[in-house]
Amino acid sequence: MSHVDEGGGGGTLHAYLDGELPSAERVALEAHLAQCPTCRARLTEERALLERASALLGSARPAERPAPPFEQLRRAPTHSPWYVRRSVAWAASIAVALGLGYYLRNPAPAVVSDTPQQQVATAQHRDAFAQPEKAPALTPVTVTATAHTPAPTRATARASVQTATAERQHLRDEVARETPHADSAAAASRSVTLNAAAAPRSVADSLTARVAEVVVDGAPLARPAATNWPVISRLMAKSILGEEPVGLPGLATRDFRRVPGTDGTIVVEQTLDSSTVIQIFQRPAGSAYYDSAGHLYANEDRARLRGYSSEDRGRQRGDRMFARFVRGLRVEIMGPLSADSLNRLLEQVAPLP
Amino acid sequence: MPDDIAEVYRSTYPALVRFLYRKVWDAERAEDLAQEAFARALVHRPENTRGWLFVVAANMARDEARRAAREKRHLTLLKSEPDAVSTAPEDAIDADTQRTLVRKALDELTPRDREALLLWDAGMSYDEIAAQTGLARGAIGTTLARARRRLVEAYDAEREGGQHVARG
Repeated sequence: MSHVDEGGGGGTLHAYLDGELPSAERVALEAHLAQCPTCRARLTEERALLERASALLGSARPAERPAPPFEQLRRAPTHSPWYVRRSVAWAASIAVALGLGYYLRNPAPAVVSDTPQQQVATAQHRDAFAQPEKAPALTPVTVTATAHTPAPTRATARASVQTATAERQHLRDEVARETPHADSAAAASRSVTLNAAAAPRSVADSLTARVAEVVVDGAPLARPAATNWPVISRLMAKSILGEEPVGLPGLATRDFRRVPGTDGTIVVEQTLDSSTVIQIFQRPAGSAYYDSAGHLYANEDRARLRGYSSEDRGRQRGDRMFARFVRGLRVEIMGPLSADSLNRLLEQVAPLP
Repeated sequence: MPDDIAEVYRSTYPALVRFLYRKVWDAERAEDLAQEAFARALVHRPENTRGWLFVVAANMARDEARRAAREKRHLTLLKSEPDAVSTAPEDAIDADTQRTLVRKALDELTPRDREALLLWDAGMSYDEIAAQTGLARGAIGTTLARARRRLVEAYDAEREGGQHVARG
């Protein structure tokens, strides 16, 4: 046997040192090394080279941080910047102050929330969207689950929803209280006019749905099972939107989700506190109009929405939609807060850091 | 039967982060991408999870690099790199400088050599590297030998060059 790796660039010796030489070749190589000082010297050189290269690579490694719990992988990776705590306090104080204001102004409960029709509608919506067996154990209550879902069925819907506390009940009551009758009548009539196939038909339905529905270009879409929509990564969200997703800069981002449909709507879910999730729907403003629920809609409503601007904000409370454009995105906000709180939060929406 | 992804996660996550780090040179991005790769594995349930993860991670890192290039982000990265390295001995130069030198040295390798080296360092076997890179199994030893030699030579040249600049 001539010398190992003659003209071969050290491949055999490296494979040997790496423990990757097939056993027959290894035996032959070791026999040769035992009686060939040249090749032994070469082996020593290659070993030094290999160790040096490993050391160099080892010096260019990231700081070792423990892997996040495996369960978290089902959500997109998120960052919680240092200023989250402070801003949560700020946002919560706004919400509490505004909520209290409404409570004082409209102390009398105005709404009967659960009706048979609504229960039917809710069940249908859930059938359309829910994937209970895949629901993450940590799924917090969203506004839709809270405001739209009757308590008895909710108990069977998802275990996580059962974590709703008395606090959530209070929020729901508050949401109901803050809706004056005039608004409800207007909301109901628009709902009927715009949507021949819309599920809510009674005044009570519209009242509840006022908070629970999201309006896409004038077409209300019930979104009762938002937390079961597929979680996507921030990268994916960005590629769907064509730009950075937007959200409330101070709040922790819980996840990004893709809304079923083809108009490229995603939702950024952010936590206001441990039990309150704000959902920020967004899609490219230029994307073709699309009505996933098959609703009819009036052109003037769409035009009004598209033309929505600061001078219209004063009228938002009577409307059921809270939307604005942020750069190239059309953004809508939902959450278990008063209309004005949501509007104020909406004004804070900006591209996520 | 697909692998147990939780088990693969436990055993492979640090290596995947390291692998990605040496492509994107940002620890946080590397972690994000690694988690993203695992999240995709949960959806796709590949047969060979580990190999699949590295393929996906390499693709994501490539996309990331293209995006970064588009956004000229590399300018800010390069700006933070020192023009000249110190003449201090190897064990005394600071970690950032060392990383920069290794990064530049890795850039000197051919893409295929670099890929093989990073995959080996991530704990892949020759068989896995061969499957990943399309190289013949018998060529992996030679590829790694060449990659290691070039890495060390390029690193030494960088340091040498840096010393000249510092002196000059």
